[in-house]
Amino acid sequence: MIIIIAVGAAIFAPFAASNYLLRVINMTMITYICVVSLFVIFGMAGQISFAQAGFWGVGAYISAILTVDLHVSPLLAFFASALGAALLPAILGIALFRLHGHYFGFSTIGVVMILNGLFQNWKPVTGGADGIANIPPFGIASLTFNTEMSLFYLILFMVTAISVVTYLIHQSSLGRAFMAIRDNEIAAKCMGVNSYLTKIIAFTISGCYCGIAGSLYAFMSSYVSASSFTFPQSALYLVMLMLGGYQTLPGPIVGTALLMLLPEWFRFLQEYILLIYGLGVMVLMVVMPDGLIGGGKKAYEFIRNKRGWTDAIPKQPGNDAG
Amino acid sequence: MVLQLIITSLAMGIVYGLVAMGFVLIWRAVGVVNFAQGEFLMLGAFTAYTLTEVVGMPMGVALGVCAFIMGLVGVVFHFMTYWPLRKSWDMTVIISTIGASIALKEIVTLVWGPAPLAVEPLVSGIARFMTVSIEWQFLFTIGIAAVLMGLVFILLEKTYLGHILQAAAQDQYAASLIGIPVILATSLTFAISALITGVGGLLISPIFFVVTTMGGITGLKAFAAVIIGGFGSVQGAIIGGILIGFIDTFSGAYISSTYRDAIVFLCLILALIIRPQGIFGEKIAEKV
Repeated sequence: MIIIIAVGAAIFAPFAASNYLLRVINMTMITYICVVSLFVIFGMAGQISFAQAGFWGVGAYISAILTVDLHVSPLLAFFASALGAALLPAILGIALFRLHGHYFGFSTIGVVMILNGLFQNWKPVTGGADGIANIPPFGIASLTFNTEMSLFYLILFMVTAISVVTYLIHQSSLGRAFMAIRDNEIAAKCMGVNSYLTKIIAFTISGCYCGIAGSLYAFMSSYVSASSFTFPQSALYLVMLMLGGYQTLPGPIVGTALLMLLPEWFRFLQEYILLIYGLGVMVLMVVMPDGLIGGGKKAYEFIRNKRGWTDAIPKQPGNDAG
Repeated sequence: MVLQLIITSLAMGIVYGLVAMGFVLIWRAVGVVNFAQGEFLMLGAFTAYTLTEVVGMPMGVALGVCAFIMGLVGVVFHFMTYWPLRKSWDMTVIISTIGASIALKEIVTLVWGPAPLAVEPLVSGIARFMTVSIEWQFLFTIGIAAVLMGLVFILLEKTYLGHILQAAAQDQYAASLIGIPVILATSLTFAISALITGVGGLLISPIFFVVTTMGGITGLKAFAAVIIGGFGSVQGAIIGGILIGFIDTFSGAYISSTYRDAIVFLCLILALIIRPQGIFGEKIAEKV
């Protein structure tokens, strides 16, 4: 039911919204893809990664370089981005997943810093601090996506596809393997999960998502610069995931929507926005450590119990006589 | 020239060491990585600016006052980020510290304005040894930081209070059973951590422009220092800090000044692959 309303809203939204709002929504959806990638590697597989923004950058730069310097078609560049941004974590994972626990997370901090350093300084390839400009709009055959509205549908399509794929992974044995590793790696290994390989797979999938997001970003904004692909950006994805609820599928949606759209509604607060944002994150963590979805579930249970909507005495063997 | 680089490396390294020590103290006490540690550095530097430029104190007095203020900041920070979440999962505390780092940056921007500020050197003038000239302030930075580290060491290892802090750090429940007020221990640990990092900020404030972004990259490099030195070891943090100082300065001078940050983090990854437990290793191993 909710899904139908959401879908309806999604399809008709562009007609009601201004161009600026559409741009915000498009950026939110691209960020959502990156947060879902974090959901795969961290929410499901339990490996915290700060490298997502770096992979996002890899995807963006691959699309940018291929279309601007090598005049490859945008569609091909898109696939190359997804592939390239999936290959990098696969290779990195081979080295980095030999580290256990929080050490892997630390190494991902190193990864994003190194990637950012490369983006900022490798002038011949990435344009250095100037970035890459004049990226042609995305196009398939005769269709060109160069308006915010057309981009909206394109990105919405990708978001839906990725969400469905993630849901399928979550329900599959691969997803269960991820979650087994997250909950207790040693027990998972005892049950026959090859944790090393499975973690690499999770990392690769998450990298692929980020590559897709990066490619879409490059085509949407026509300009990529190294300043977008930083460690704080990765930390932001983590905050969005945690705020929304890191263990559930709708978590990333809620978290991303909240942190991207609320600042727009509160724009009248101007210079206090970031302060309220920071304080808000702190407060929300105290009030709802499981994120909004978790908090919502708890609130729902609370109301249920108070109102007596469930049976007061749960049925248990031996209880019926009383 | 090399001697100048060595002195600069030592000065930067020992400041990284102070920040790294701050990381380790909080990690050992509550098992959480404080992502706002770099912002303590920034706060120390801004406080230094206000005390010396606006209020007009001499640097020596400013040092003491800044230390005291940063200690208070640490306590407040403790009660806002850690204490309400002490029973929850550590990821929530980490997110809270990320939120705190954003909030701190904004508070500083609102109070001090967005423009970079300049602070007078600790001690002006240039020392000359034979053919080499080194600014006095680098030597003073090294000296003051070393003294501060020594004081913290003596506090932790030799005094009763230090033993209380260490006990609470090793096992909060057991410490509370024998009568140690855990709230005092953790808040004091945060205070010391913020204090030493803030003084580090004061020490480097004349060397760099005082900006809100100065905490970010320095904090991350200090974090790398903690890992290279051995996550959980105070000596490791100091040695790691000095090491990072050397890698940072020398690679900036000899390899490439643009890639120096990337090189530092490449060393971090290499260190993690070759010896993840760092130089001094973790004191308490994870139970399987």
